[in-house]
Amino acid sequence: MDNEEAKFILRAYRPSGVDAGEAAFCASLEQAKRDPALGAWFEREQAHDRAMTEKMRGVAVPAGLRDAILAGGKMSARSTRVWWSQPRWMALAASVMLLIGLAVSWPRLAATRAEKRFGEFAMNDMLHVPSHAAHGPGMGQLAALVSDPQRKLGGGLPIDFEALRANGCRTLSFAGRDVLEVCFTRDGGDYHVYVMKKTGDMRAVREGPLFAREDGATSAVWSDDAHVYALVGSRGAESLRALL
Amino acid sequence: MADVDFIQLVDRFYPALYRFALSLARSEADACDLTQQTFYVWATKGQALRDAARAKSWLFTTLYREFLRGRRRGERMTALDTVAESEVEQASLAPEAVLSMDVETVVAALKDVDEAFRAPLTLFYLEELSYQEIADVLEIPAGTVMSRLSRGKAQLRAKLTAAKTNTDGGTIVKFPEFKEKAGHG
Repeated sequence: MDNEEAKFILRAYRPSGVDAGEAAFCASLEQAKRDPALGAWFEREQAHDRAMTEKMRGVAVPAGLRDAILAGGKMSARSTRVWWSQPRWMALAASVMLLIGLAVSWPRLAATRAEKRFGEFAMNDMLHVPSHAAHGPGMGQLAALVSDPQRKLGGGLPIDFEALRANGCRTLSFAGRDVLEVCFTRDGGDYHVYVMKKTGDMRAVREGPLFAREDGATSAVWSDDAHVYALVGSRGAESLRALL
Repeated sequence: MADVDFIQLVDRFYPALYRFALSLARSEADACDLTQQTFYVWATKGQALRDAARAKSWLFTTLYREFLRGRRRGERMTALDTVAESEVEQASLAPEAVLSMDVETVVAALKDVDEAFRAPLTLFYLEELSYQEIADVLEIPAGTVMSRLSRGKAQLRAKLTAAKTNTDGGTIVKFPEFKEKAGHG
């Protein structure tokens, strides 16, 4: 390293000596000790730097600046929200809550839609299909049960779904599922009970009845542990409610 | 950060930050604004800085960024390009001459130095930061800091020399004496 290179480095050496331990200056400092000309230059350079440092420290700081800074800091502290109350986190939390709410209520919403569609399906079948007579030999016991004036249907029915289908009970298809139909009469009125297994989006169908009306037909859809039922008649909701 | 920590931080650094700001800004008012803005940014964002030892560099860096943000970038580039090589030559000015000058004159000379040199030079004279830390604050290589200090000091001494000359009333140049010629006869 020649003296010009040493000078280049030593110009960055702070006059207070705080850089004494800095490895980048060691070789140049040693060279300044060994070389009198470089040493004299360095001494003068440091004197210049000390003079400038002294002048810089003599720059008066405006009165009131400190107070203004502290006041600004307090204001910002007041306006600074904790992280979880900042708008973006609040928005995220709201979104998460919405998603959780949807996740929880989605099966129920889906089931409600399925209940309505099942009721409509049952009413359409009753209104528009001319014959409902395809009842097999195994239907007698169930038909007698639902025709019993004392029998309440709302708690569900003792149905062996597979046996009824095997015995020739009228079987329809709703949304890819088999639906059995049982026809009966009460107090002079004709009624139809449609039964399907409680699977898929039908799992969340409520136990209490959901009533609907369409073109003179009324339906009530409800469920028990194993099946979903749609009771359809033409005498209005009150007549259905009396059977449930 | 608790209030007491903020107050200690302000007390420790606000004079040096203000002086750095004053060397960059056009006026005292602008320097005050820059200093205040720096601590405001600290109060709103700097609390996330867990390493208290880095607070000093963070504050100087933030002040410099705030300064750059408030002005056109093109000005800075022009300043870099207008530095004459001749200014690298060190002017001969005695340290005592600097000490004899008033603060306003010295600061005025410093403000007259090209900004590219002024920022590292001021940080160097404030003695708060090493050349490596100055490099971090200004986001330039350490070698560039050394180069700018070297050239900046030369330019500053040239300005101080000029200021000293003006203060002293200028150098009196003796008008050359001419011998009277003999008459033409």
